[in-house]
This record gives sequence, C-alpha cells and structure tokens, in this order.
Amino acid sequence: MQKLVDQERAGGTWLWQALSGVGLLILLGLHMIAQHFIAQEGLRSFQDVLAYIRNPIILVLELIFLLVVTYHALVGARAVITDLGLTRQQGDTVNRILTAVGVIMVVWGFYLTWFLATRA
Amino acid sequence: MTGIPIQHEPLGRRALRAWFDPRGRGVGLIGFAFNRISGLALFVYLFLHLMVLSTLTMGTGAWESFLQLARSPFFIVLDASLMAAVIYHGLNGVRATLVGLGLLTSKHKAMFWVVIVASALLWAYAVYLMLFVF
Repeated sequence: MQKLVDQERAGGTWLWQALSGVGLLILLGLHMIAQHFIAQEGLRSFQDVLAYIRNPIILVLELIFLLVVTYHALVGARAVITDLGLTRQQGDTVNRILTAVGVIMVVWGFYLTWFLATRA
Repeated sequence: MTGIPIQHEPLGRRALRAWFDPRGRGVGLIGFAFNRISGLALFVYLFLHLMVLSTLTMGTGAWESFLQLARSPFFIVLDASLMAAVIYHGLNGVRATLVGLGLLTSKHKAMFWVVIVASALLWAYAVYLMLFVF
C-alpha cells in the first residue's frame, strides 16, 4: 500500500516538475528578452535595473520566475540525490535540507526585489 | 549491456556509473545523463546568479564593477557554457515530457538528435549575439 502511495506521489511530482519546466521555458524566455536582448550591450546599468523593477508586471513576473525556478531546481536536485539510493530516513533529511535551501533562496530573492523596488 | 559486474558495488557508486559510463548505452540514457549534469550546473548557477544580483544592494559602484567583469573573456566563456546548459536542458526537458506523457515514444531517439542539432544551432546564435551584437 505504501509503495502505491509512493508511486502516486512520484507521478504527481513528475507532472509538476514537467509543468514547472514548461512554465520556465516561457518565463526564462521573457526574462532573457527583457533583461538581456532589449538592454543595451546585453546588461542593464544600475539605474536601468531600478527602472526595470519599477514596472509592476515585470516585478510580478520576476517573483513568479523565482518561485518556479526554485521549485524546479529543488525537485530536480532531490531526484538526483534520491537516485543514489537513500533510506526513508535519509530521504526525509534530504527533503528537510532542500526545503530549507528553497526557503532561503526565495526569501533572499524576495528581499533583493523588495530592496530594489523600494529604491526605484 | 556491457556485462560489467556492477551489482556488488555500493549503490552510490553504481548510480554514478549508471550516469557516466557511456558503454552500451542508448541515446535515451545519454540524454538523461546530460540532462541531469546540465540541471546540476544550472542549480549551482542559480546561487551564483543570486549572489551576483546581491551586489546591487551595494550601490552603483559595485554593480558597475561587476558589469566590467561580466564583459571579460572569462565571463563570456562562462556565459556561453551557461547558454549551452540552459538550451539543452530546456529542449531535452520538452522531449522527456513528451515521452513521459506517452507522446512520440517511438520517435524518442530521433527526437534526441533533433534536440542536439537544435541546441547546437540555438547555442551558436546565442554566442554570435554575445560576441558581435551585445
């Protein structure tokens, strides 16, 4: 029974990983166009970064991008680690560590965005 | 298969061999290994990207210093490697998703080569933009 539950959970995780991957293709494409292709010489100056983040649509898109890329990266890293053959206890430890890493990355990214947005 | 006696190895080492030993492997497994290697590289890059963006909190001077560094040949090589990982991981991810959903499963080998060729072309275009346009 536990095996069936695990399989169902793994299938759901795979589907979310695939969906977040498709979402990332769109979000990363928008990010690359807005941040590098439109920007002169491919990189924005300090003032240009502030002007960029002032746009509320861009701000929301960048925050969604941060959440989706963090989720996708952590689930991918978890798949790589668990394939090395972990016990359930080790797997739980890995889950806790990766969750903490994810929270740190999201908080860090949100703080950075807030810092720039409040100076724009 | 290669007939290599791997079943008595520790699981971690066996998993690494499963990734990196190309002997007797089909393109599907090679594509899977490349996907994971590029994924791990992008995971590391995500941290580096946040670290680099954190220099924005130090003001204009720190950001301008980074921009100068970003235009150095070393950084351009890093950027080109990053582009290769992003493009391959994205396109192969689409292939893996299609196959995982049961679509075009009989064409998965051909799709792998489409991914390789499309990745090479897109990467060449990206490098051209980095070197000659920006």
